[in-house]
Amino acid sequence: MAVVQVKLPDIGEGIAEGEIQKWLVKEGDTVKRFQPIVEVLTAKATVEIPSPYSGRVVRILASEGETVRVGQPIIEIETSDASPKTVEEAAEKSVEAEVEHVAGQEPRGKPVQRVRAPPSVRLLARRLGVDLSKVKGTGPRGIITKRDVLAYAEQAKSVEETVDEEERIPLKGIKKIMAERMKLAKTTIPHAYVVEEVDVTELLEVREKLKKLAEEKGVKLTLLPFIIKAAVKAIKEYPLINSSLDEEKGEIIVKKTINVGIAVDTSQGLVVPVIKDAGSKGLFQIAREVRELASKAREGRLSLDEVTGSTFSISNYGAIGGILGIPVVNPPEAAILGVARVRREPRLVNGSLAERSLVYLTLSFDHRILEGGYATRFLVRVKELLENPILLLAGEGELD
Amino acid sequence: MEVLEEPPISLDKALKMYRVIDEDGNPVGPEPSIPDKLLIDMYTYMVRARILDSWLLKLQRMGRVALHAPNKGQEAASVGATLALEGRDWLFPSYRELGALLVRGMSEEEILDRALTTIDDPLKGSDFAIYGHRKYNIVPAPVPVANQLPHAVGAALAAKIMGDDIVTMTFFGDGSTSRGDFHAALNFAGVFKAPVVFVNQNNQWAISVPVKRQTAAPTIAVKGVAYGVPGIRVDGNDVLAVYTTALEAVDRARRGEGPTLIEAVTYRLGPHTTADDPDRYRSRSEVEEWERREPIRRFRLYLEKKGILGPGDAEEIYRTWESRIEETVVKVLDKPPLPPEVILEDVYSKPTWNLVEQMRELEESIKLLKELGVEVE
Repeated sequence: MAVVQVKLPDIGEGIAEGEIQKWLVKEGDTVKRFQPIVEVLTAKATVEIPSPYSGRVVRILASEGETVRVGQPIIEIETSDASPKTVEEAAEKSVEAEVEHVAGQEPRGKPVQRVRAPPSVRLLARRLGVDLSKVKGTGPRGIITKRDVLAYAEQAKSVEETVDEEERIPLKGIKKIMAERMKLAKTTIPHAYVVEEVDVTELLEVREKLKKLAEEKGVKLTLLPFIIKAAVKAIKEYPLINSSLDEEKGEIIVKKTINVGIAVDTSQGLVVPVIKDAGSKGLFQIAREVRELASKAREGRLSLDEVTGSTFSISNYGAIGGILGIPVVNPPEAAILGVARVRREPRLVNGSLAERSLVYLTLSFDHRILEGGYATRFLVRVKELLENPILLLAGEGELD
Repeated sequence: MEVLEEPPISLDKALKMYRVIDEDGNPVGPEPSIPDKLLIDMYTYMVRARILDSWLLKLQRMGRVALHAPNKGQEAASVGATLALEGRDWLFPSYRELGALLVRGMSEEEILDRALTTIDDPLKGSDFAIYGHRKYNIVPAPVPVANQLPHAVGAALAAKIMGDDIVTMTFFGDGSTSRGDFHAALNFAGVFKAPVVFVNQNNQWAISVPVKRQTAAPTIAVKGVAYGVPGIRVDGNDVLAVYTTALEAVDRARRGEGPTLIEAVTYRLGPHTTADDPDRYRSRSEVEEWERREPIRRFRLYLEKKGILGPGDAEEIYRTWESRIEETVVKVLDKPPLPPEVILEDVYSKPTWNLVEQMRELEESIKLLKELGVEVE
């Protein structure tokens, strides 16, 4: 048994509503399918509406004298003869009817943005290559006139080249995900930024010295693993960097494990594979994973597990170029570190000019979670670690 | 003073009304000899038409049929006239001839498939809701009245030229006789002796216009005389009178003697269509008077008096067909509707660009409505 709502049927020839004249059944009555249940006065005639179901009248929803719209529920019938499909349909119909009722507008076709133009105008538009959906109609009820099409074509002439050269690329796959996540980030996270210049001359010298050792271990050592190492070390001192916001509960969730997402540029789009528990891993291990994840990302072989669960991200856009970039926080994280290109520039060192290796680091952060002071202190600590490699690499297992 | 020659066509038959039985089923003159089985078939066809008619009205009130033109009261004219045709003949009906369709062999299911435009509708929802079926030599009824008259004449002439032994029959109302097509069709048919039978269902009302406002002529049948077409006025609620007259007219046409105009005097007991309220233009007492003359009751009384139907036989026929047709209705209601793309079919071999555009808009609309959870039929 199911209770279904019967709505005022579409009784044809432009009838939009009717007045309930007389109920032929009352609540509690048993009705048979096709039995007349109500007399309705329309603009054309008084008609008897038959019941679409057999069953029991549960509730009468429109009283005598009331005007009801086509599609508005008028009676509820408890029935067993409606197949599940019918019941479902009926439920759908009632939803539709409610929507219509609330909106109080023409039921059909209303939500659809339609082009209104007579055939002659459509033909003209075709000849001129004008997309009618872009033309605003000035005729009655928004009908597009010949003049509208001509005016649009005239105006479009000036930008014709660009219009002609347009190509429309469907937003799908990774690109679509990127678009959605970036929209979420920029519409929900109040971003703030802090930039620091780091002198990595000494660090690069250390890297040179470690290269041989790394090669022996089968690892190619780039700058990025050092930066990951520095960020992780600093996060241990500034744990709020590794957190997210639970807006509903009004709580900041501080993550105990540091999973670092690495933004990788692939032919398909932006992918962020994750180095899990980077806080417990040594430099070589991190370097090995960075390479492995990056090549998997480019080949599209990453597993779901390898792209989820990051708690902090790093964008190494500088590997491509750019002296300063400002990354977007990867929701629901609290911050992202941007690494720019390493520049060789003269700097004063102990009162004399020297050629130094310099890199800008940007920290973009969620200002709901982090204060500017806290974020800056964190970034300054990262800078200290990178400028003093001995601080970065001293300690049990840090090199592994 | 010169004495006019008696006209070759009887004015008498065009002015007086021919009937076999009166309102209470009593013979008023010599009875035609018709086999009992055919008499019972006549009765059954009328009952089936009446029951189907009431279902179409109900289904329209349930929002399942777009429009229906009720037949109630006119069953004898459409059943009686059509029974005079052979299977190879062609029918050009109007929109109020359910009985004619049944006589030609269309089943209730086939008629309901058309009315509800189900997946089994051979005409894919096109034209007026119900009529027409190639299989039974029934041409779909046009919505504008009287259009089918020249069609029937043309088809009859074609058959004549081709040497095909085919008669055409067309139905139309009293309102149709005011249209130019009526003139053209009768004139042409008369001149060229087309093998066509014109059956005028003079049901007294063209929507809200009474027949006395339709013509100043005393009868419709008399109009035929002026075209050189025999006009015969019959009691359209007397199935025997209609049948015998039509039989004679069909035979005449088949013999190459040309057309006949039959005026079947009847009455539309229901509204013009499901969008009409006859109480606004005619009196209840007029309707009640005609209800006494309705064709099924009086034919039943005749058959019972003759002993062709025994006690309870009429009820049995009614009950049998009532439950059969209800079963068919339930079955057809469960059939899926036609898909929307059939709108574009059968017009151009290749749809034109504007049709393609419209179809795309339609598809988009349907998709959007579905996304919005709106029922789409």
